This record gives sequence, structure tokens and C-alpha cells, in this order.
Amino acid sequence: MSPRFRAGGQVAIAGYAHSQVRRHAGRPLGALAVEAARAAIADAGLELRDIDGFVTAPLFPTSGAHTAEDGVSTVSADWLAGALGAAPRYTAGFQGVGQLPGAVALAVGAIAGGAADCVLLHRALHNPAGHYHGSARHEVGGLQQWTVPQGFFGPLPMIALPYNEYLQRYGADHESMASVVVEARKNGARIPWSYWYQRPLTAMEYLASPMVNDPVRRLDCDIPVDGVAAFVLTSAERARDLPHRPVHVAGFASSPPPPPRLPLHWPLDDIMAGGAETARRLWEHAGVGPGEVDLPQVYDGFSPFVWFWLESLGHCPAGEAHRFVQDGGIDSDAPGALPVLSGGGAIGGGRMHGVPQMLECYLQLAGRAGPRQRAGAEVAVACQSSPHYGGAVVYTAQPW
Amino acid sequence: MTAPRPLPVPDANSTPYWEAAARHVLALPGCSRCGAFCVPPGPTCRHCHAADPAFTYRPVSGRGRVRSWTVVRRTSLAGFEGEVPFVLVDVELAEQEELRMIGRLLDGPDAPLRAGAPVTVAFEDVTDGVAVPGFVLGDGS
Ligand SMILES: [Zn+2]
Repeated sequence: MSPRFRAGGQVAIAGYAHSQVRRHAGRPLGALAVEAARAAIADAGLELRDIDGFVTAPLFPTSGAHTAEDGVSTVSADWLAGALGAAPRYTAGFQGVGQLPGAVALAVGAIAGGAADCVLLHRALHNPAGHYHGSARHEVGGLQQWTVPQGFFGPLPMIALPYNEYLQRYGADHESMASVVVEARKNGARIPWSYWYQRPLTAMEYLASPMVNDPVRRLDCDIPVDGVAAFVLTSAERARDLPHRPVHVAGFASSPPPPPRLPLHWPLDDIMAGGAETARRLWEHAGVGPGEVDLPQVYDGFSPFVWFWLESLGHCPAGEAHRFVQDGGIDSDAPGALPVLSGGGAIGGGRMHGVPQMLECYLQLAGRAGPRQRAGAEVAVACQSSPHYGGAVVYTAQPW
Repeated sequence: MTAPRPLPVPDANSTPYWEAAARHVLALPGCSRCGAFCVPPGPTCRHCHAADPAFTYRPVSGRGRVRSWTVVRRTSLAGFEGEVPFVLVDVELAEQEELRMIGRLLDGPDAPLRAGAPVTVAFEDVTDGVAVPGFVLGDGS
């Protein structure tokens, strides 16, 4: 049996919509989701009655004690379908690792397998009042008793440890990370719905910004926001008759099971070994190699992930991504450079958990990126989360 | 008023760990089938994949090497706001390859650190009968 995805190229994105991204929308997340869904369906040239599948990944990614309330702080596929008054024959929520690639895989499987003809896929992210990851617990049981009593808690020290491991092992410095963050903010500043629209950042501003968990600065972290994105997926065949140029799903991969560790302990070697396997699965599944990718949109919820993905995907040898970045290798305005954050990413757009990467792949391959449109982009990759604890999707302009 | 530090709630798998820590002894769970240490202990053994690892606790040297570290300057964890800045070290213990623990470095935020620096377990007495393992620089001699 071929490891290649049998339904590769059979399913396509036909339209999208994106809400404004704000620190606090001032409205329930479900209201934003309903509007985004309607706009995406119209953008695809379809009616609500055409949509017979709803898919999302509803994760509310907080370590804090916030209550997840459907329609307010999360939006499930069933909630959205009900709020729209739709009557789908397929709804699903992806609960595994790599939420957005996992949701895309569910939608593609449903369409290719005939469970649905047109799927609305959405991702809704909420920024609660108070500390995003705040915890007032005085007693900790379960696995967290092995880490929380000594103060190891939340995603900042989680990413700080492998980031520092990388800095020490490869002699990387903060100027290279400045190039990552400045690039994300440069592109985010060009995108009207982005939280950082018209607000680019200089390297000096980055380097002067405070550390929160050394070596992580506040500006290395995406900012929590309220926002919703919606996409319409259907068969490539049907998409050909719709208004916009279809963008095909060639294949996808999620990360292999991570080695058992303390909660939130992500040693650099785990990230890179898992990332290599994620990439191997991805290329095998999609029938594409890194040399064919015009637009590898890497994940940047924390800026060190940009280095980790560049190396995992094979665009840089191990330990070389920091030099590649520092030498202008990811400057989307430089001819011949690799546009890895041309969609602004999460640092340039807000904490939308893989949406900026997926949307940039769609917009560029559909020829809908407006003033940012790149010539000749044919193959794109959208990554999410850590290379060892996430996933990625390969998109192509033509059926692959 | 400062919130108290979060305290562990020992369970069947972890009670010997916290009992030993209270006596300032680092004891870790080893699989009864293959002997390997598993931290934290789970339902199965991550080394030999036994579904009945029947972990037993054995004292270890508490010596290891720093693989990485971070200086926590901001935290949203109640009980630690008044402790910042503090250092967390990711330590590979001498007993077994990749046997890693994360603890506070009790030498303070300005202690000289480098990858590979030797450290030894030390304990913070947090409240009556509860001590939390951490580390100090040096090989304990
Ligand atoms: Zn075993």
C-alpha cells in the first residue's frame, strides 16, 4: 500500500472569512463565529443549505481556571450549526494534537468519503478577562504535582527551556530572534484584520522589550485575542464551478506520540526528533518534498518555533535556522528568500492558533492576497504548534 | 497577604516520593519489570511498555547536570508571585540517561549557570511535613 494520501488533491478550499482580531471583541465569540460563517459561505458562492458538514477544533488553550462555555468562550461545530439554523449530516470536533491540521483532516476525510459535500470549517479563539493562564489553586494532584509545587507552570517556562537549550547548543543570539519577530510584525501590520495592523516593530524595540521567562521576551509570545476564521471546503470537482480558484489539500500529518515526560516538559531533542518524523510523514503523505514548497508558513505562537520548524521541515540543517534567519533568509520582501511568515503568523496577527498560516496558504495559492500577492506560488505548507506536538497541511494550487 | 505555595496532593503512585522528600531524600519510582526509572510514574512503563509496572521507590544520588534553565520573572501561578525572579533548571540525573526533573535552583537568580553544570538535589520546606525537591549548584561534595 502506498503511503501517499489516496484522497490527495480531491478536496479544495473554496472560500473564507475572517473576523477582526481584537484583544476583547466585546461580544460573545459565537456571534463572531456566526458572522464569519455566513461571510465564508457567501464568499464561496454557496448558500447555507449547501453546507452539510461542520468541523472545528474547539480547544480553548489556557492553563488557567477559565470556564469553557460553548458559544461564549469556545464554539463547537454543533453550536455553530445550530446557531446558523443549519441541518448538517456531519459534524465533528478534532480533539487531538495539532488542532487546525487535525480539523482539516476531518473535513477532507468527510468530503472524500462522502459523509458531506460542503464543510464549513471554523476556528474560534477567545481571550478571557483576567490572566490567560492564571491559576489560584493551592493543591495540585495528578501529573502536575510533579512540576507545579516548584513553580513550573504554564507555557512560558515550557518554551523557555528548549529555547535556551537551542541558544546554548548552537550559540544563537537574540538578534536572530529579533529578525523573526520583526518579520512577523512587518507582515501582520499589512493585514487589515490583524491585531497589529499598521503597527510594525523594529529590532531595537524588540531587543529593548522585557524578558518574562529568560530567554523569552513578551514580544516572543503571540497576544491572546478574540477572533474567528471560517473556511468552506468541498470536492475539487465542485470547487471548479465556484467563484474563486480552488486551493487543494494534497496531504497532512500530525506529530507522532510524544515521549512521556513531565507535564509541559519539551526538551529540544524531543522537539527536533518528533519534528523530523512529523515532516517525514507530511512529505510521504502529500507526495511533496521541502524543495518543492514555495510557501512554508511555519508556526510562531512562540517565536522559537520558527527556528524549530525551519529545521524540522528540512529548510535548514540542525542548528542553522538562527543563522539563516539572521542573514535575511525569511524576509518576504527579499527576492529568493523563503516566505515563512508572509501571512504575519500569530505574532503578527494575534493568537489564532494556526489560522494565519492556513489562511496565507489559501490566499496566496488562490491568487487572493491583494497587494501581498506573490507570483508563482504553487505549493504551500501550513504548520501548527510545535513540530513534535502539532501538525501540518500541504496545499497546492493544482490538484497534486 | 501572600497566597500560600501550591501543595502536592499525593496519590497511590506518588506517596512514597513525597514521604521521602519530607525526610530530604530523593526517591524515584522504578519499574518492577525492567528496573528503569519513570518520572512521573504513569499507568505503564515507558521503557519496557509493561502494563503492570508495579513501581517501587528507590533513593537516588540526587546528582545531575543542567540541560537547560529559565529565569522566571513573571508568573500567573498563585503562591509564586512574590518569589520572582527565580530560576528553574531542567536536570538530567546521573542514574539514567534522559531521566530528567525540573526544579528550582535554590542558589538564587544570579547564580552562574551553563549547560552541563553539575547540580545536587536540595529541599525547600514549604510547610509542615511538605518538602519540595529543588537543586543547588555543585556535585554535593
Ligand atoms: Zn519497565
